[in-house]
Amino acid sequence: MGRRHKRLKTASELQRLMQWHYASLRLPRLGRPLAWVTSGAPVEILRAMGVAVAYPENYGAICGAQHQATALCQQAEAEGYSPDLCSYARTSLGAIFQPHAAPMGGLPKPDLLLACNNICSTVVKWYEAAADSLHVPLFVLDTPFIHRELTPQMSAYVLTQLDELVEFVERSCGRRLSAERLRRVARQANETVRLWGEIRAMCRARPSPLNAPDLFVNMAPIVVLRGTGGAVRFYRHLHSEVAERVRDGVGAVSEEKYRLLWDNIAIWPQLYRFYNYFVNYGACFVADTYTGAWSMEIPQGDIMKGLAETYASVYLNQSLEYRARRMIDLIKEYDVQGFVMHSNRSCKPYSLGQYAIRRMVTQETGIPGLVVESDMCDERAFALEPIRTRIQAFVETLESMGGSHTTQPVVEGTGVR
Amino acid sequence: MAAQAYLGIDIGSLTVKVVALDEQAHILGRGLAEAGYGGQEAAEFLVNKVLQESSVLPGAVACTVVTGYGRVRFAAADREVSEISCHARGAMHLNQATRTVIDIGGQDSKAIRLDESGRVVDFAMNDKCAAGTGRFLEVMAGALGVSVGQLGALALTSSTPVTISSTCTVFAESEAVSHISRGATRQDVARGLLQAICSRVLGLTARVGMLPAVVLTGGVALNEGIVAELSRQSATVVWVPPDPQTVGALGAALYALQYGKTK
Repeated sequence: MGRRHKRLKTASELQRLMQWHYASLRLPRLGRPLAWVTSGAPVEILRAMGVAVAYPENYGAICGAQHQATALCQQAEAEGYSPDLCSYARTSLGAIFQPHAAPMGGLPKPDLLLACNNICSTVVKWYEAAADSLHVPLFVLDTPFIHRELTPQMSAYVLTQLDELVEFVERSCGRRLSAERLRRVARQANETVRLWGEIRAMCRARPSPLNAPDLFVNMAPIVVLRGTGGAVRFYRHLHSEVAERVRDGVGAVSEEKYRLLWDNIAIWPQLYRFYNYFVNYGACFVADTYTGAWSMEIPQGDIMKGLAETYASVYLNQSLEYRARRMIDLIKEYDVQGFVMHSNRSCKPYSLGQYAIRRMVTQETGIPGLVVESDMCDERAFALEPIRTRIQAFVETLESMGGSHTTQPVVEGTGVR
Repeated sequence: MAAQAYLGIDIGSLTVKVVALDEQAHILGRGLAEAGYGGQEAAEFLVNKVLQESSVLPGAVACTVVTGYGRVRFAAADREVSEISCHARGAMHLNQATRTVIDIGGQDSKAIRLDESGRVVDFAMNDKCAAGTGRFLEVMAGALGVSVGQLGALALTSSTPVTISSTCTVFAESEAVSHISRGATRQDVARGLLQAICSRVLGLTARVGMLPAVVLTGGVALNEGIVAELSRQSATVVWVPPDPQTVGALGAALYALQYGKTK
């Protein structure tokens, strides 16, 4: 594995940063309340009000990568939750029911919950269940689905709720919103977003300095630490390392032959193993739709209005046409020869419609797309041999379309092929 | 120097297939055997048998390509190629007009679309589900107390098929059983089952787009009821090559011929 995945020098810094984040949630917070929030929640407001935040989705991804999620999913199923429910939700609920069996003993108990349905509607019911079990107040932020474009009425509707959110936090934990602090947090959030956007854009280089697992692992701070100085510092270091790779012509994949685009959430328990099947054929994922979902800058001017517009317009809250368009743009910008869509059993809004998007993208670009069925955390949904067959057939298709001259794995005799 | 041979081996979940070609891509010999445990031993045994029957000395094999689910662990091959590419190659060799290949094997079904030059431009496979595969037919034949071979003929005699709504093999079986217990005839249940399998397979084919000529390969192509039902539901002529089970092995042998000559 070591040979096929080139570890970044900043990897240990990332590890320390994330460990510090999770440890800090357990330290005495001197009266600072703790909120659990969804990945698409306007966290800047909470930070500006001095609320510490934890992300159950990120926690779910960590459990998944550590092969701990399936057991927690089973705990939730034992309590009556359907195996068809999102595996982040089941992991999180399982950890609430059986914290002693969960990594890090589960997330520390929150004082309030914030769910924004811009990423899916499952979060509403999941957070209701959590609020019920933990006896803490819940705020649901409702963002209308964007079929065509964000209308002034829609942003006004979201903006009203942001004001209500501020009142909710004031009421439930007595914290006040400081305009000065909000400006600083928004500035830092935008700085993180800018750096992350530039890091992703550097993958336009040939060979690409990063592959999918690098993008997935390094996106953690943009989600859980956006708007903090720690995230800005980390991304500055990552930025210079990636720029160095580009300057020296160092690719994430030793002999980059195929440049691919990834759609949907990572398969966390198979992070390196799965992508190494592609690496064996010299295929590198140079772009993806997932880690770019957090690269939206808060517009200048009225910050609350900017937050309303930014969070209402996230990738998953928009039409299939928008998503197909984004993929087509990425394919052109990153000079991509094929795309792989993870049909993620957990994530219905992301996965439903993938066949329609696939058709639109292939029609417009002429490049082939592969759909792989699995799950982001639940290992019971990962079937190795059918996936291996699809990957091999897909690479053979790329080859026959004029990609390269061999379909034999570049790395031989590694056992895992 | 003795004529050289090129071997294609398809190690599937239920059966193992071998095809040996000469340099002009003429078939020297072919064979089929049950895969047994893992398929590796069965494949080696079958290779020797086919070589003996076609009087090819083992040393005369210039190149071997293996495909199918057992391909990964088969050490005696020069190359492994996915069954998608092999079925496409084999079908194209047998019928130059092929644009769509539907392969229904033991544990999976696949739809492959080709362009005029025989390149694979798209493919789709069933996911983690045995409905629409040879296993489905085996289970259902068992439920009806007939052989897989009889199932198709039985279905062809039905004019009032029952509706099998379930897409799950296990649930479809209990559905079939409940139809029987309510007095439905074997013929009508058999036809209902074949209709269910065909609608599933055609749903898969629609993902890649179904263009004529349509070639049906794999063991299930031997089932006349399936062929008739697929043609009827799709309103397209579905062509079954002679010996449809060895099309993947033939494709593998054609790859062996290509690689062996460029080696």
